[in-house]
Amino acid sequence: MWVYIVRRLLLVIPVIIGVMTITFILVSLIPTTTRVAAYTTARDAKPGTPVWDRAIAALGLNKPVPVQWGIYIFNSLTLHWGYTSPHSYATQVGKLGSEAWPVATVLGWYLPYTLELAALSLIIILAIAIPLGNLSAVYRNRPLDQAARVLSFSGYAFPTFLLAAVVLLAAVVLSGGFAPTCHGLADLYESWWGSWPPPACLPGSPTTLPSWIGPHLNTSPTGFPTLDALIHWNTPAGLYLAWQSIQRMILPALVIAYTYTASILRFVRNSMLEVMNLDFVRTARAKGLPERVVVNRHAGRNSLNVTVTILGLTFAFFITGFPIIEDVFQLRGIGYLFAISIQPVEDFGIIFGSTLLLTLIVVAANIIVDVLYAYLDPRVRLG
Amino acid sequence: MASGKLASEALEPTAGTVAAGKRPNPRLDQYRRTFYFLRRNRLAMFGLIVVLFWIGVALYSPFYSAPTSHLEAYCSSTVTEGTNSSCAQTVCTYEPGTVPTGTPPCYQVPFGEPSVVPPTISLHPLSLGPLPLGSLTVDPALGIMYNIMAGLIKGAPWSMGIAAAIVGTGALVGLLLGSLAGYRGGYLDETIMRFTDIFLAIPGLFLVLVTLAAVGIYFTTLEARVGILIVTFVVTWWPIYTRIVRGQVLVTREQKYVEAARASGAGSGRILRKHIIPNSLYPVFVQLSLDVGTIPLLLGAIIFLGYQIWPSAYFPEWGTIAAYAVENLQGFLLQCSISSAVAPCVFPWWQIFFPGLTLFLFCISVNFLSDGLRDALDPRLRR
Repeated sequence: MWVYIVRRLLLVIPVIIGVMTITFILVSLIPTTTRVAAYTTARDAKPGTPVWDRAIAALGLNKPVPVQWGIYIFNSLTLHWGYTSPHSYATQVGKLGSEAWPVATVLGWYLPYTLELAALSLIIILAIAIPLGNLSAVYRNRPLDQAARVLSFSGYAFPTFLLAAVVLLAAVVLSGGFAPTCHGLADLYESWWGSWPPPACLPGSPTTLPSWIGPHLNTSPTGFPTLDALIHWNTPAGLYLAWQSIQRMILPALVIAYTYTASILRFVRNSMLEVMNLDFVRTARAKGLPERVVVNRHAGRNSLNVTVTILGLTFAFFITGFPIIEDVFQLRGIGYLFAISIQPVEDFGIIFGSTLLLTLIVVAANIIVDVLYAYLDPRVRLG
Repeated sequence: MASGKLASEALEPTAGTVAAGKRPNPRLDQYRRTFYFLRRNRLAMFGLIVVLFWIGVALYSPFYSAPTSHLEAYCSSTVTEGTNSSCAQTVCTYEPGTVPTGTPPCYQVPFGEPSVVPPTISLHPLSLGPLPLGSLTVDPALGIMYNIMAGLIKGAPWSMGIAAAIVGTGALVGLLLGSLAGYRGGYLDETIMRFTDIFLAIPGLFLVLVTLAAVGIYFTTLEARVGILIVTFVVTWWPIYTRIVRGQVLVTREQKYVEAARASGAGSGRILRKHIIPNSLYPVFVQLSLDVGTIPLLLGAIIFLGYQIWPSAYFPEWGTIAAYAVENLQGFLLQCSISSAVAPCVFPWWQIFFPGLTLFLFCISVNFLSDGLRDALDPRLRR
């Protein structure tokens, strides 16, 4: 087992170096004027001016390309992912001020929100896809199977942004129409939109959010919003904010689940169908075991192995949906950060940093899944 | 293919249709047989009909020109005598020189008029009626509107053409590299597969957006921007196809008929061309047709996230139209919530519904078709 894990970890090294090389190539393709403008305070620096020369030296653009590559890889591996650009749109929207923050720090504020949303949607996907996929395989080509397939296909075929917007609209209408919920007109969407309610909506109508939510909505002590709110359950706003945090994640998680259930359902169904035709299932039936036991104990357990692998793959798919979902629902996650950084004026530091971060997460998820798979199926680690 | 031909003679639909003494074209035979199985699948036939309909629309679209008299007819039918003349004057003139060809004309309504036009069909004998699918408000402040039907018709060749180009090129690259890797094995295989690992680790939409953000600035004309869009998607998509083809080639390589071909002295080029590639084609074909449906959705997502692909905002492409519709939604909701006195509160359902329906129908019918094709092409799945 340990040999397998070490071998699997060694295989990751070229992938990570390769990914960083791709981002290095892309960074190098950005026009130099853009890079210098994002770096310096004097935005219209011209070649030949001292400002320009200093920026070039600081960015390492005067060194030979292989050295630049080496520096880039080293910095990427040590989490020195550059700085945010004070001129970018993301800086404005994220209220980062005129300071250039280290990208890793900013990503650290936003990542927990994404992880919580991902966990919630993963739970919903699993709770729907595994039972439905198994049923769909057992009742193959009967109405239930057809209905499940059409339902999951339709989730796949909806444009995510459109579905999310319509769901949000429906929630707003169903929860009382357009009447302002707390104070003023700004909180039209407030009950379903954003990560936190405005302070005025909190019990006691304070003017600021509680002190454990920092100026950049970075929470303490753990950084995970719902968890932190639960930790502060005995403060006036604690429990209310925990509930709000979950409530604001439910709709996006449902939309993500609906969109990505299709592929998982299909894999569960296919692997279940494959297992159902194997000899040991026939033996179990021949022994006279009830069909329920055969399906749940014999076939279900075995098709779970395949499902675990698929989960890892799906994680890579479903993380691509996050910028759209988080943008529609204004959740303070990495996807939202990416979405605001891609608007002109772009913030290349955040764009590349968040891509690198999510890639690392996907790679880590794949390792975990592979190890889990090896644990579940001895043929993998011994073969 | 020898074994396939033997099996074909035993099968139902062809045996009866072959005239005595005539040797039928085996390939034609096979197509006919595939279609026979496809026709029994109702969902697949639905998919085929819808896809053929959209292809028909795409072929028709160069000959379609949106009637410019739509809004004039609308104005004269709804607005009272006094404001009629001003209404007629504000119809936007359509100058093919200033906007890319294929752009539907825009309309401008005077202030005070509702900046939306619901689907209306006039009784005017010479025109299709004013805006049969309603209008899409692109700029509510200026009252600039789109003809949704014209946009969808003109958008058909763009959406489907771009999707076909991306998927076709990606599949071609995947087919070449995948069959080389699978057939040759050894270091070549290792190298190619490690590259696919690297590209697959980066979440798809992120790679597309990062690449576009980095190099998009160099491409300004419409042709160049469509070109770079296709290239970025191909860069993201090829590893998926490569992996599928390689897996299939590894299976096909060990088949008896390949061994027979090698024993009868065929070179590896011939074996690849005549035996391995044709037999590993169908899984690629299935994946390919799935992706064709997804690409317009992804284009819409990119536009929705705020990245400007097209040189002008008024570009007829299904995803783009849907993205603008969703972006406008919030504006209308705000208008409704603030006051119903300023302007009549109209919920523009048609702006979301028709582009959304187009995307949904296209994607789901392509899905059904590919599912049906998989069943029809794979002898093991036929019943």
